[in-house]
Amino acid sequence: MTELSADAVALIGFVALFALMLLRVPVGMAMGLVGVVGYSYIAGAGPALKLVGQTSMRTVTDYTFGVIPMFMLMGAFVSVSGVSKELFKAANAFIGHLRGGLGVATVLACGGFAAICGSSVATAATFSTVAYPEMRRFGYPQSFSTGVIAAGGTLGAMLPPSTVLAVYAILTQQDIGKLFMAGIVPGLLAMAMYVFTIFVIVQLRPDWLPRHDKQSRLERIDGLKNIWAPLSLFVFVIGGLYGGFFTPTEAGGVGATGAFLLGVLRGKLDKAGIKEALLSATRTSAAVFTVLIGALLFGYFLTITQTPQKITEILTSLGLGRYGVLALIMVMYLILGCLMDAMAMIILTVPIIYPVIVSLGFDPIWFGVIIVMTVELGLIHPPVGMNVFVIKSVIKEVTFSTIFKGVIPFVITDLIRLLILIGFPIIALWLPSKML
Amino acid sequence: MSAHEASQALEPPKSVADRFIDTIEWIAAIFVGLVALNIFVSVVLRKFFDTSIPDGYDWGRMLMGILIFWGIAATSFRGSHISVDLIWSMANRAWQRRIDIFATLVLLFVVTVQTYTLFDKVKLTYQDHVLTYDLNVPTWPFFAVAWLGDVSAVILIGIRTWRLVFPIDPKPPVSDIRHD
Repeated sequence: MTELSADAVALIGFVALFALMLLRVPVGMAMGLVGVVGYSYIAGAGPALKLVGQTSMRTVTDYTFGVIPMFMLMGAFVSVSGVSKELFKAANAFIGHLRGGLGVATVLACGGFAAICGSSVATAATFSTVAYPEMRRFGYPQSFSTGVIAAGGTLGAMLPPSTVLAVYAILTQQDIGKLFMAGIVPGLLAMAMYVFTIFVIVQLRPDWLPRHDKQSRLERIDGLKNIWAPLSLFVFVIGGLYGGFFTPTEAGGVGATGAFLLGVLRGKLDKAGIKEALLSATRTSAAVFTVLIGALLFGYFLTITQTPQKITEILTSLGLGRYGVLALIMVMYLILGCLMDAMAMIILTVPIIYPVIVSLGFDPIWFGVIIVMTVELGLIHPPVGMNVFVIKSVIKEVTFSTIFKGVIPFVITDLIRLLILIGFPIIALWLPSKML
Repeated sequence: MSAHEASQALEPPKSVADRFIDTIEWIAAIFVGLVALNIFVSVVLRKFFDTSIPDGYDWGRMLMGILIFWGIAATSFRGSHISVDLIWSMANRAWQRRIDIFATLVLLFVVTVQTYTLFDKVKLTYQDHVLTYDLNVPTWPFFAVAWLGDVSAVILIGIRTWRLVFPIDPKPPVSDIRHD
């Protein structure tokens, strides 16, 4: 039997991986299986099997990776404590009466919620039940209402603590704290640009987004009363991380315990809520770790076949220049965004793309922000956007085409923001450079 | 009778497998709480009392290992792993079932291999007499508990496969959670 070359094995490996994933084999399991089979073809079954046990145990007992379950637990406690409603109520009390104000309130509340929860899909699902009925009650069109929720949901992956940024940091061995910090200004820029987009929509179609009555000062103070605690927790945790008071894992653990204590002391977290939060954090963490283990096993396969080096050689020999190659990579992510979710895309592609980016001289922290922004765009752009699917599953009455229609202005905004971030990396890199 | 009791009375009685999965989920959930508590207490002790929990770091990472493997067992049974639903969502019910059976069989194979290889790791830790840093506690029992989580995963995926192939309810079990 003729032995296959490493290139052929790598190619077959990728085809098999995509086939398995399309047949709904869990992404982590598919990566692990292909990685181990491919590795054993080249290096032998014994060493390949040894890698499985060692990599699995090493990954799940790595203290640094504890950042994932801890921030997930913090987000789960905050979610079940009803913070989303309180944030929306507070934002609505101050700006809801303006034309388009409910849309702006949704963006701000999504940002606040995402900053604690860390999940885009969870943010979109939550605000489909919290903000959508309010916007409809005041006569906002379906397309705008769902579009603004879909866009607001994407803030979850950019503002810290972002699970996707943490996973990127783990895969590329970058500082998780620095990546969290790098996401803050681009996340705030995203919020500002979404608000500006709503302002432009109001200018173009003034009758589309009606005004409603201004709330009294008492109602405004009442709105603020409930949000100081979760926002203080966020400032304490992220501030502690920024100031070098905590490691990222410690920040997550303190945040989770703090969210639990705040929920219980404020009477927002009962026995059922605690149970729901613990189970939710456990399930999501297990799912993410499965993909991480799979990705690490697949990484050994990539290393032994020297795939990243070969792809780097191919891309750099195209003569496109560094920004040309970057543009090519961005386009690939936008296309992949039609097929896969953000986490799967990052885990699958980063081990291959990262060496290319480093060889082109781009900053790894900056690229983390860029890649997360791009995959988040995949959550809302047609024809397949995970946030759009989630919103549709919560709001049955609305059609996909209506949601996508509402999302278009925000997709354009995101593309402009992406170009700004590529042109001015300092927007992402300034805050991490000031870290203690 | 309270509303909660009334709703419980209306629910069909849980099978042995369902009780088993509930227990497994609870084990993992308790461990995630313990990890958070361990980190919180460690930070408070270190920052405010200039002391630490003996082996706090080792407890933290080993408890995390246990929570993840037991969590994987529950996640595998619930079908809530991160997966690509593109073809599945376009397929009709019969093909969805076939795709689910195939995916679950692959999952069963992979987790079985993982469990087999993890046993080697537990055995090695026992043979090498690996101890914690401060208290010199043997670490192999923690690895063994984590490994039991993987054993549970194999059993539960087996049950899931059986239920998919021979459904009691004509509606096949499908994923109940999605992730971003």
